[in-house]
Amino acid sequence: MGKDLIQKSLKDSLFTGIIALALFGPIVGLRTVAKNEVLVVEPKWFVVLLIVIFCAVGRFFINLYTFRKEQRRGEQSSFGKAVSNFLDEKGAQIAIAAIAFSIIFPFMPFADRYWMDIAIMMMTYIMLGWGLNIVIGLAGLLDLGYVAFYAVGAYSYALFAIHFGWSFWICLPIAGLFAGMFGILLGFPVLRLRGDYLAIVTLAFGEMIRILLLNWYELTKGPDGLTGIPRPSFFGLPFKRYPDEGVETFHTFFGLEYDPMQRIIFLYYLILILALITNAFTIKIRRLPVGRAWEALREDEIACKSLGVNPRNTKLTAFAVGAMFGGFAGSFFATRQAFISPESFTFIESAIIVAIVVLGGMGSQTGVVLSTIFLIGLIEVFRDFESYRMVAFGGAMVLIMVFRPRGILAKRKPTIMMGKHG
Amino acid sequence: MSNNLLDVQNLTMKFGGLIAIDDLSFSAKKDHITSIIGPNGAGKTTVFNCLTGFYKATAGSMYLNKDNNKMDLKKFSDFRVAQKAGVARTFQNIRLFPQMSVLENMMVAQHNKLMVASGFSILGLVNSKSYLQKEKEAVEISKYWLDIIGLTNRADDNAGDLPYGDQRKLEIVRAMCIEPHLLCLDEPAAGLNAKESAELNKLLKFIKNDKKTGILLIEHDMSVVMGISDHVVVLNYGKKIFEGTAKETKNSPEVIEAYLGTED
Ligand SMILES: Nc1ncnc2c1ncn2[C@@H]1O[C@H](COP(=O)(O)OP(=O)(O)OP(=O)(O)O)[C@@H](O)[C@H]1O
Ligand SMILES: [Mg+2]
Repeated sequence: MGKDLIQKSLKDSLFTGIIALALFGPIVGLRTVAKNEVLVVEPKWFVVLLIVIFCAVGRFFINLYTFRKEQRRGEQSSFGKAVSNFLDEKGAQIAIAAIAFSIIFPFMPFADRYWMDIAIMMMTYIMLGWGLNIVIGLAGLLDLGYVAFYAVGAYSYALFAIHFGWSFWICLPIAGLFAGMFGILLGFPVLRLRGDYLAIVTLAFGEMIRILLLNWYELTKGPDGLTGIPRPSFFGLPFKRYPDEGVETFHTFFGLEYDPMQRIIFLYYLILILALITNAFTIKIRRLPVGRAWEALREDEIACKSLGVNPRNTKLTAFAVGAMFGGFAGSFFATRQAFISPESFTFIESAIIVAIVVLGGMGSQTGVVLSTIFLIGLIEVFRDFESYRMVAFGGAMVLIMVFRPRGILAKRKPTIMMGKHG
Repeated sequence: MSNNLLDVQNLTMKFGGLIAIDDLSFSAKKDHITSIIGPNGAGKTTVFNCLTGFYKATAGSMYLNKDNNKMDLKKFSDFRVAQKAGVARTFQNIRLFPQMSVLENMMVAQHNKLMVASGFSILGLVNSKSYLQKEKEAVEISKYWLDIIGLTNRADDNAGDLPYGDQRKLEIVRAMCIEPHLLCLDEPAAGLNAKESAELNKLLKFIKNDKKTGILLIEHDMSVVMGISDHVVVLNYGKKIFEGTAKETKNSPEVIEAYLGTED
C-alpha cells in the first residue's frame, strides 16, 4: 500500500509542478522593465522555481495525507486537518527546528540584504501577530486599531531616544509601558462593547492616534516625521564605518572588516529575540488563571460573571498586555528605520495584522507564523506587481476562509491536562 | 428569620410597563432545597437574575445570611455577587465554555482564588512553588467533583462535546467550585431522561446534605420538584400564589388551577 501510494503521489505532484511552471513561468518569471526607455525582459527564475517546488511539494503532501487518512478511517479528511494533526504530534520538534532555522538564517548563503530585510519584516509581523493574538485570539476582542499601539511604541521610543539619548534597552520598556497604558485607555470606553461595535470603536481609536500624530506638530513633527532616531548599538558598540574620534565600534572591537550587514544581522536577532519573548510570554500566561479567564471571556461573558470573574479587569489586562507587545514592536520599528512618520501607521497595517491572526486560526501561535509567512511572502512576491498585490492578498484570504473557515490551525490545546496531574 | 439563608422581601422587577415580579417575599433555609415553580413567563428566571446581580431590582430587598453575617445582595453588582457573596447559579440554556476542556471549565470557576495565588500573574509567570501548589489543589478539587458526576475520564475533552445530560451536571459542579453558600439552579432537569434525572436528584441531595449548601431550584417537572424539595414557592404572573411543603403544594387547589391547570 505504502509504495503504491507514494508512487502515485509523486507522479501527481510532478504533474502539478509542470502545471505550476506553465502558469507561473510567464506570469512571474518573465518580467518586463523599462531600461533607458526600452522595455527589456528580466527573468526571475528563482522565484518561479520556489513557487513550482512549493506547489509540487504541497500537492505531494495533500496526496499522501488525505489518501492515507482515507485508507485508515475510510472517511474524507482535509489537508488542513492533516497539517494540524502533524503539527500537534510533532509540535515541539517543529518549534525547535523553526527556531534553529531562524538562528542560522543570516548565515545561509542566499541570505543577502533583500532576504534579511524580508525576514526582519516577517519577524516584526509575527511579533505583532502574537501580540494581537492575545487580544483577538485569546480574549476574543476584535481590535481593529492595533497599529495605534505600534505607533505609540514607536513614537515614545523615538522621543525618549532623541531627547534624552537613552539607550535602546531603557527606551524599550518605557515604550512598552506607554503602549500598555494606551491599551488601558482604549480598554475603558469599549468595555461594554462587543463584536462589530468594538471593532468600529477600536478602528476609530487607531485613526485618532494617527491623526493626533499628524497634528501635534510640536511633539511629533507631524507629517514630516521624526528623524535621527539613534540606531541600536551592540551593548554600547555602535555599527559605524567612521566612528567619532576615540569611539570603539562593533567591527573594531571584534577585529572585523566593516560591513553594513553586521547591523542588519544584529537587527534581525534583536527582533527574533523580542518575538520569541512575546511567544514565550503568551504561552506561559495562557496557562495562568488570567489567560484562562481571557479565553473563558471569549467563550461566554455571562457565564464568567456567574463564576465571579471580573470581566472589566480581565479585558483590560488583555488590552494592556497586547498593547505592550505592540509597543515593543514599535520601538524596534523606530530604531530600525531611524525615521518614523504617521504614514507608517495607517489602517492597512492593522488590517494586515488582524488578517494574520484570523487566518492563522484564532489563538494559535503556530498559525500566526504560518499565515505571516504566507501573507507577507505573498505581498513580497507580488511586490513588482504593485496593482495586483492587494488582489492576491484578498484572494488568499478568501481561499483560506473557504477551505479553513476557522483559520489555518483551528485546533486548540487545553491549558491544563488532568493526565499530567491526576 | 435569622436562621434563614436567604430573605427576599417585597421584590419587584419592572420592564417598562411589564411587571415581571410583583412584590415577592420568600425565604430559603440553609439545609433546604427551595423550589420556585410556576408556568412559563411567571418570572422565575427573573428572580434569579435579580438575586445574582444580572438585573437591578426595581424595589425590595434581598439578604443573604452568611455565617451570621447579613449581606445585602443589592449592594453587589453582577460578578461580585458570585465573588463576594458566594451566590452561584446555572442557566436555563446551559452556559459552559464549550471550546475549553472540562477541567478548564472547572479551573475558571476557581479563578479568584487562583488569581490571588498566582500573585496576579507575577508569581505564576516565575513558576513560584506556592502557586503551583495552589494550582494542584484546584485540580484536585476539580477532580473531586468530576469523580462525583463520573466525568473524570473526559476531563481533557471539550465541554461542548459532552452529551447534553453531562453538560447540565458539569454546569452544576462548576458552580460548586466557587464554594457558594447558595446555589441557584435554573431548570437543571430540563431535557434529561429518567436515569439522568435520578442522578441529578442524588447530586442535589449530596450538595445539600454533605456540602451544606442551600439550593434554590427552578423546575418545571413536578416529579422532580416533589421528589427533592423541602419547600416550594409557586409564582404566577410575577406574584407568589402559594408557599409550602411539596405535599401541601401538590394538594393546593390554587396551584392546581394556576399551574398544573394551564399545562397542556
Ligand atoms: N430583560 C427583559 N426585558 C423585558 N422583559 C423581560 C426581560 N426578562 C424577562 N422579561 C419578561 O418577564 C417575564 C418573566 O420572564 P422569566 O424569564 O422570568 O419567566 P420564567 O418564569 O423563567 O419562564 P420560563 O419557565 O419560560 O423560563 C416574561 O414576560 C418575560 O418576557
Ligand atoms: Mg426561565
